[in-house]
Amino acid sequence: MSTLYRHWEIIDRARTGKFMDEEDFLPRHFSPTLKKLIKKYEIKYDPKNPSPTDDAMADRIWQAAWDLFREVGYYNTDSHRIIEVTDEEIKEALYMASDQYVVGGGKDARVMKHRSVEDPEPPFCIMSPDITVDEKYHQSMCMAYLKEPLLDGLCGPILEETFGHLIESGGPTEISGCIQHIQNQKMAARLLGRPDTFMVAVGTAEHDSGQIAVSNDEWGVQKTDARLVGSLTEFKTADTLLNRSLHYAQYGCYTGSLTGAIYGGWCGGSEGTAITTVAYSLIGLVIHGAMFNQHFPFHLNYVSNTTRELLWPISMAGQALARNSNLLYTSNGFANAGPMTEMLFREVAVHAMVSTVSSWHLWEMASTRNKYRNRATPLEARLGCEVGHAVARQKMSREQANEIANKLLAKYEDHAADAPMGSEYHECYDTAKAVPTVEHMDMFRRIKDEIAQMGVEFPY
Amino acid sequence: MSLEKLSELVEAGEAEETKMLTEQLLRDGTDPLEMIETLTKTMAHVGELFARLDIFLPEIMLSGEALTEAVNVLAPYLEASGGREIKGKVILGVVKGDLHEIGKNIVKLILETNGFIVKDLGYNVDSLDFVKEAEAMGADFIASSSLMTTTMPRQLEIIEILKSKGIRDKYKVVIGGAPTSQLWADKIGADLFCYDAKSAPELFTAILADN
Repeated sequence: MSTLYRHWEIIDRARTGKFMDEEDFLPRHFSPTLKKLIKKYEIKYDPKNPSPTDDAMADRIWQAAWDLFREVGYYNTDSHRIIEVTDEEIKEALYMASDQYVVGGGKDARVMKHRSVEDPEPPFCIMSPDITVDEKYHQSMCMAYLKEPLLDGLCGPILEETFGHLIESGGPTEISGCIQHIQNQKMAARLLGRPDTFMVAVGTAEHDSGQIAVSNDEWGVQKTDARLVGSLTEFKTADTLLNRSLHYAQYGCYTGSLTGAIYGGWCGGSEGTAITTVAYSLIGLVIHGAMFNQHFPFHLNYVSNTTRELLWPISMAGQALARNSNLLYTSNGFANAGPMTEMLFREVAVHAMVSTVSSWHLWEMASTRNKYRNRATPLEARLGCEVGHAVARQKMSREQANEIANKLLAKYEDHAADAPMGSEYHECYDTAKAVPTVEHMDMFRRIKDEIAQMGVEFPY
Repeated sequence: MSLEKLSELVEAGEAEETKMLTEQLLRDGTDPLEMIETLTKTMAHVGELFARLDIFLPEIMLSGEALTEAVNVLAPYLEASGGREIKGKVILGVVKGDLHEIGKNIVKLILETNGFIVKDLGYNVDSLDFVKEAEAMGADFIASSSLMTTTMPRQLEIIEILKSKGIRDKYKVVIGGAPTSQLWADKIGADLFCYDAKSAPELFTAILADN
């Protein structure tokens, strides 16, 4: 059961809550409160340990996140009002949240359940390129991802054009593009013999009308699928977003809350990024009734999260959530480098390893700073998910993960700013057959061997 | 009390103390142009710290507010001595349909602290409003940001409106935002692709100089 039983009260508060000028909300309310809580709870970033083991600090981060949400609230930019919640409401929502859900349908159904720190149960693996692709490659790329054995769920690539028309948010081209998007994805799943695979869709929809247009249990996003509702940086929402969570609940599909706390932005450094990420899970649950939280904290300059200043908050946030709640949350990797580069494979391995031992489920992998069209492939997601399965099954400790992460970071960290862009999808995949090229597979195997030699026991 | 102290206060983001010290220094006979020069160097330093993320957005915002306090005190004196150099006037906003504005806000701050006058239209701004506001301001630049691929076409729409009104050449059209690129700028006929906030003052200055 989600917490949508309170949705009408939330909507009401979005209209009647405390007024604040939007210009004041972040600099005079959010950031000072966060800064105060970092000091109060003595949260301190440790750059030497991208996979830290400080349980007491994880618990303090949880408490700081709770206080942050309760003290700051959630700002509606349309009404200029703050949605505030009480301790009692947060406690109630956490009590009511289920620790597992069955997603997808039929033989393709999967269970997504709460993980603990150093959990031996492999993470739930959602794969996604997170980027836009040429229309001609869209279905091929959907197929290529669905060919991945470890895929538990798919969030397909985003369309920029639909039958030759640029897709414009809020306009008719977006509605058409969204229908094309989900039908390509569902067709690919059917052709590959996994028709009821869990999907998170559709990323092509920036506007709520695009999402609403594809709610259809026969040909569109089904009730066994999930949809995302985003947040505005930081702690802000808008009617177009609240429309989504209400529609998802009323339609009957699952809701995921999509948030990316920005390191270097209003959150400040790693400490604030960790606290804000945890607070976003509470927001997703209480405000949007989310079944899971999809987090992608990222670096303001690099738009990535595979360097240590982001790995630390990812790890600490996961540990804080695992130790103090039964929630579900996915860790969305954002890499600096592009496809078919050794750097990208190392980045995804580190992100997946640190996330998995810290209790996260996986959402892999936005490549090339999630910026360039066609620059993502399933192969980097495959490596991330294989690493996730491996480290869970071998019961890897955070200390072991920390040691391996530091070794791999030494190989790429200095190139975060000038990472190679690599290749486009059609340059490293046979797009007709939706399989990687020989050169691409060779590189994959080479880096996988390198990681195995460091102590990751791949099951195959 | 010294210019060095003024610089420290601005860097620390102490707006009220900055204002008081600026007034004190003026009373003591300090040259306002010398004070502006010091403040400009200070903000350049703060900008460098932020570019490396040695400090974060809340800190540079506070420095910007402190600078504004000082400039407000100095403004009448600067007018009397020929005024502060204005490098250009900018209409800035996030395009229609897009609600993401952190990048735009950083660009605004960096431009303002480097001698540009910026009118911030906010986010979800209609393309025609960019043009109307530029006409009203007598702007040099129309700068639009887009974070989503599906809102990028609005940047093209701004240029098409300028063409339709026969005023395309009156303005330098600048685009930015995570999914935008030089390729996109070339495709839609923008004058400048601003790839990051810290480069904005230099890029904007250079393109005006080229004119």
